[in-house]
Amino acid sequence: MLKVENLDVFYGDAQAIWGLSLEVFSGDICTLVGANGGGKTTFLKTICGLLNVRKGSIFLDGEDLVAVKAEDRVSLGLSMSPEGRKIFSNMTVEENLIIGAYTQKAWKKKNDQLEKTFERFPRLKERRKQMGGTLSGGELQMLSIGRALMSEPKMLLMDEPSLGLAPKAVEHVMELIQSINKEGVTILLVEQNVNVALQIARHGYVIESGKIVMHDKAESLITNDHVKEAYLGL
Amino acid sequence: MIPFSILFEQLVNGLVLGSMYALVASGLTLIWGTMKMLNFAHGELFMLGGFGIYIGMVSFHLPIWLALPLVMICIFILAALIEKALISPLLKRPDWDVSAVVVTLGIGIFIQNFAFKIWGGDFRNVPYVFEGTLNFLGMRLAWHRVYILVMTLVVLVGFWQVMKRTRFGMAMRATSFDADTATLMGIATRRIYTITFGLSACLAALAGTALAPIFSVNPWMGLAPLIKGFIVVILGGLGSFAGAIIAGFIIGISETFSVLFLPSGWKDIISFVLLIVVLVIRPQGLLGKKEW
Repeated sequence: MLKVENLDVFYGDAQAIWGLSLEVFSGDICTLVGANGGGKTTFLKTICGLLNVRKGSIFLDGEDLVAVKAEDRVSLGLSMSPEGRKIFSNMTVEENLIIGAYTQKAWKKKNDQLEKTFERFPRLKERRKQMGGTLSGGELQMLSIGRALMSEPKMLLMDEPSLGLAPKAVEHVMELIQSINKEGVTILLVEQNVNVALQIARHGYVIESGKIVMHDKAESLITNDHVKEAYLGL
Repeated sequence: MIPFSILFEQLVNGLVLGSMYALVASGLTLIWGTMKMLNFAHGELFMLGGFGIYIGMVSFHLPIWLALPLVMICIFILAALIEKALISPLLKRPDWDVSAVVVTLGIGIFIQNFAFKIWGGDFRNVPYVFEGTLNFLGMRLAWHRVYILVMTLVVLVGFWQVMKRTRFGMAMRATSFDADTATLMGIATRRIYTITFGLSACLAALAGTALAPIFSVNPWMGLAPLIKGFIVVILGGLGSFAGAIIAGFIIGISETFSVLFLPSGWKDIISFVLLIVVLVIRPQGLLGKKEW
């Protein structure tokens, strides 16, 4: 579904991503794990079009994303729950969700989608009139994921959904990701919490200093010596 | 003791003046809130509104209901073109906010001299939209002032509702809060910037059309509203739409009431004193958010 080949990305003159290739299969949960500053967020921002590609290609279902403006990629079925949730705290919970259905196509169905989201997240329904900024960390994450789903994406990119959450909440988010995936949404999960990410993913990539150093089935990575030593503290 | 009728008249004058400040300042704050830049050409867009209504009503003898929308459409298109051609290329470049100040300053100087070249330096009079006065409980109120008040109210409330309820308004609020995340929602933020700049120009020009009959139209008429506009925006809190409106009325009313007690030369000092006092107590302005 998502195919990235030989991607180079720069911040000004500094190269952040080096010849990165990665493929996410339709219906998969794929995870990209690695330490802080390894280029994970840079990579996701590039897929979304917030950063420019210097070299290489990104294809979504055969469509060349590099030629598509960032804002138009949403209509192609791409959606992202960004790092730090990035909730519009000047808007209510309900407005945050509705703005997730901004694309022409999704806007027509926004009320149905809103009901669906409230069914999935009853907590958000209770707080629908509250300002986005007043929610707790776990609720913000739910809102961020709910907002990303409002456009009915084929592919959901998630940047560190476990960040800053208590273990119980992390578990909840991981279950949520699995259930979203079961509904047919392909997922690319970027995580620093390598252990939980590899547990729910089918395929995994390990990124270090902007380069992919390893990729395999998630169950093989979790038993790999390098991964164990570097990321699992075993 | 000052008679009640004079107090009332001054209150109305204050509201009229305040509504003009509110219009000009809400345009400025809109641009700051969305694009994070100051527009120093705002006063000249106000002036173009004045000339626009002069050309429409005096040169072409158009009725107000035709002239006003025409002026608004022309100003919107002009401002959108300015944004596309001159400001948009700067966005996201390093130090672009400083360049934007210089560019808008240049645009302002250009428009001012352009107006001088085309229309000359004469002070031109524009007829009142509504002649006559309203007599109310022994008080006299020019209809034109009533028109200004009602029009401002309708425009600002309408604008508020658009921001609150429409798809476009939500996109604008999202963009002003966080343009990158707005992009992730599928919002074409560059287009939002262009439209915001156009709408902001319309708010300034609308004030220009309304004040044209009270002050005469000339190429330099934009300077005073620009300075007052900045005072109002900072008093209300940079980027706050509601703050700009409230501060606009506060300054307008204090200025007109000050004339009752002080020589009229003190009028402008009042707004600066108010600004300084508020900034000492609340550095972020009345409704501004703390940014540190």
